[in-house]
Amino acid sequence: MSEAHPTDGLLRVSVLQALAEDTHTAALALRVGVLNAVVHLGGAAPSQELRHLAETIAGRVVGVRGVANRVEAPGAPSPARTINIPMGEKARGGQ
Amino acid sequence: MTTTRASLEAVRVFSTLPSFAGLDAATLEALARSAVARHFDAGQVIYLEGEPATALFFLESGWVKATRMSPDGREQALLFLKPIEVFGDIAVFAGSSYPGTVVALEEVKAWTIDSLTFLDLVARYPKLALAVIHHLAQRVLYFISLVEDLSLRSVEARLAHTLLKNAEAREGSLVVPRREWTTFDEMATRLGTVRDVLSRALHTLEEEGLLKVERHEILLLDAEGLAKRGNSR
Repeated sequence: MSEAHPTDGLLRVSVLQALAEDTHTAALALRVGVLNAVVHLGGAAPSQELRHLAETIAGRVVGVRGVANRVEAPGAPSPARTINIPMGEKARGGQ
Repeated sequence: MTTTRASLEAVRVFSTLPSFAGLDAATLEALARSAVARHFDAGQVIYLEGEPATALFFLESGWVKATRMSPDGREQALLFLKPIEVFGDIAVFAGSSYPGTVVALEEVKAWTIDSLTFLDLVARYPKLALAVIHHLAQRVLYFISLVEDLSLRSVEARLAHTLLKNAEAREGSLVVPRREWTTFDEMATRLGTVRDVLSRALHTLEEEGLLKVERHEILLLDAEGLAKRGNSR
């Protein structure tokens, strides 16, 4: 039997909480959507480092399969670009 | 009640929607009173897949793109919308989160109405409910054709079909204008494929003399031939 997986709603709360608990990302008030255990990040960050940090934090949350990062930052790719993401090993129903 | 310039503008936008064209003045004004104007820069996220559906949007100007991430992590375009259109409505009526991400491809002006407010308006104005049903039915038909396209047609057939659907007559020729944001990646996402496969499909159709790819447009040289390719599997 596989373990029960958190719902997208619960995952979204967990990601928001994880971002709020980090002193660097807490003030960014990033937008978060979760569907099929994939996190979608939006909003703005003042640097690419913080943008990347937000993605890392979201990706670490248990149950998250992947992160589509559309956070705006100076020098970052356009949020409107096509995003194809490698799925993590923690995939629902995965290995 | 005073009619502001903004609400007159909103009424104009709502009444331009084919599904909303038959609404009476009272219904349109009720909608306009609840609407808030929003501006988005090109490239900006309007809403994200899986975000709570807090509002629906009436697109007044600029193009937007709606996409959804497939289970294997590949982005699929659901819709490219130009004014005047509604989006975000499916999630509002389903009571779910947004099923896709919507981004502004150009500078966008839209009118938003809070979800609960809109549901209340639908309950109070039966003609609005009918207009919404009509619009949602149109959207269902569109998605049926998208499913048919993606599951039954080859990339070349989808490409031919999409080009014909978006063709414009210009100086005696049929052309598909390439907007600033119409990159090969965007076109590939729209067709449910990847850039390399799209390039090969374009090359094949070009070799067959059906089209010519130019910098700012795609010239359709043989509409009949493209129609045949568009209907093939």
